[in-house]
Amino acid sequence: MYLVANIETEICAATSCKLCTQYCPEANTILYDNEAGQDKGFKYGAAYVAVDRCKGCAQCVWVCDNMAKHNAIKMEMIDQIGDTALTENVTYGEKTSSAVLANPVRGQG
Amino acid sequence: MSLDYVKFTPGFGKFMPKEYRDMVEHGPFGKKVSVSQVGTFKEILEEHPMCAGCAMTLFIRLAMVAFPNPEDTITVGTAGCGRLAISQAAVPFVYGNYGDQNGVASGLTRGLRLRFGDRPKDVVVMAGDGGMADIGFAQTLHSWFRKEKFTTIMLDNEVYGNTGGQESGMTNRNQVLKMAPLGKKFEKMDMLGMAKVSGCAYVATVVPNNPRRVESVIKKAVLVAREIGPSYIQAYTSCNIEYAIPTDKVMEDAKTVETDRYKFTEYITDEAKEYLSQLYGYKEYLPKPAAAVEKQ
Ligand SMILES: Cc1ncc(C[n+]2csc(CCOP(=O)(O)OP(=O)(O)O)c2C)c(N)n1
Ligand code: SF4
Ligand code: SF4
Ligand code: SF4
Repeated sequence: MYLVANIETEICAATSCKLCTQYCPEANTILYDNEAGQDKGFKYGAAYVAVDRCKGCAQCVWVCDNMAKHNAIKMEMIDQIGDTALTENVTYGEKTSSAVLANPVRGQG
Repeated sequence: MSLDYVKFTPGFGKFMPKEYRDMVEHGPFGKKVSVSQVGTFKEILEEHPMCAGCAMTLFIRLAMVAFPNPEDTITVGTAGCGRLAISQAAVPFVYGNYGDQNGVASGLTRGLRLRFGDRPKDVVVMAGDGGMADIGFAQTLHSWFRKEKFTTIMLDNEVYGNTGGQESGMTNRNQVLKMAPLGKKFEKMDMLGMAKVSGCAYVATVVPNNPRRVESVIKKAVLVAREIGPSYIQAYTSCNIEYAIPTDKVMEDAKTVETDRYKFTEYITDEAKEYLSQLYGYKEYLPKPAAAVEKQ
């Protein structure tokens, strides 16, 4: 098994700084959902990771901890992470994107 | 080449892979996108085999977001790590034999101007420091002296990364590498000075720990190359393998190196300044009002 990045929506949505999205070396990997966290009263959405594209470098963790100072990203084992975003379940909209969460090992559901 | 080349043949859309459909429907073609919007649109760079956490990968990603007209852009590369990613993007890629990239780009730029004289096509070379300053040195300099109108970007990881750690002309003096066990014997080459002497209209150094700055220099370099003359960007893009930088410390290293010896610099000719300010609204290049000049 291997490590991938996982973003805690509630911590991220509190500031939605969009820093890590600009620093991940991989394209189309850290995505941004303008509506994430709205059910909990957050207004500006949150970042999330399409884990099938994540190479586990943890650069986003460094950026979130040291530049943004929000500590919203943790590296987790792919089989321990629970339901998460995968590229095949991502939908792009007008200036946002969203994903139906699925189990990265077993697939949807 | 135009916006049409990225569209599906009618009726075939549903058979295309998801990534392709996303690219056509939510890619940057024909729109204005910026680095601050990444994560909300489909980027043209696809999956590729470059190492996890490589700063060169990040730079290439940002550069591709910054292309002013991706639908009218052609990239040229050569052997070395960068081509592993540059070739995996939704813009045409031409592979020049190792060191030939600026010669290939010269011919390509001239050919495109004959064929599509009425519409600008942006040619952007991205190659490693070895490919550009050592093996391709003559072709790089000649394309500049000949005022070929395309952008040259050096992915300067200060080593031959793809072949396991030989020194390049851009390696720093005394640096020990796997295949330079006694340390390099001469100074890092001054390619910036040579770019200026040989007539580049825009020259900049940049480090990818400042994504918006990368975006800004790429846009300017590509626009200047369209009309005014050759442009050169030298980007510090560390090799975490050959320089043993832990992947989660790559941005820390970039920041340190930027502060110590790879500061942001920008050189731009008066003609290029005028072009950018008149045609593209770059206010910082407008001549200062006379009163303001006197006060200084
Ligand atoms: C004509 C020729 N000579 C040698 C090689 C072997 N070769 C492939 S990549 C490379 C070095 C690349 O170093 P650099 O240009 O600095 O790019 P990096 O991999 O560091 O990004 C070499 C020597 C080749 N492919 N073709
Ligand atoms: S850097 Fe941290 S807080 Fe900022 S968008 Fe990324 S995960 Fe959210
Ligand atoms: S661990 Fe690396 S590849 Fe994965 S999301 Fe973070 S920065 Fe991107
Ligand atoms: S060898 Fe070095 S430059 Fe090449 S992809 Fe790996 S980290 Fe990047």
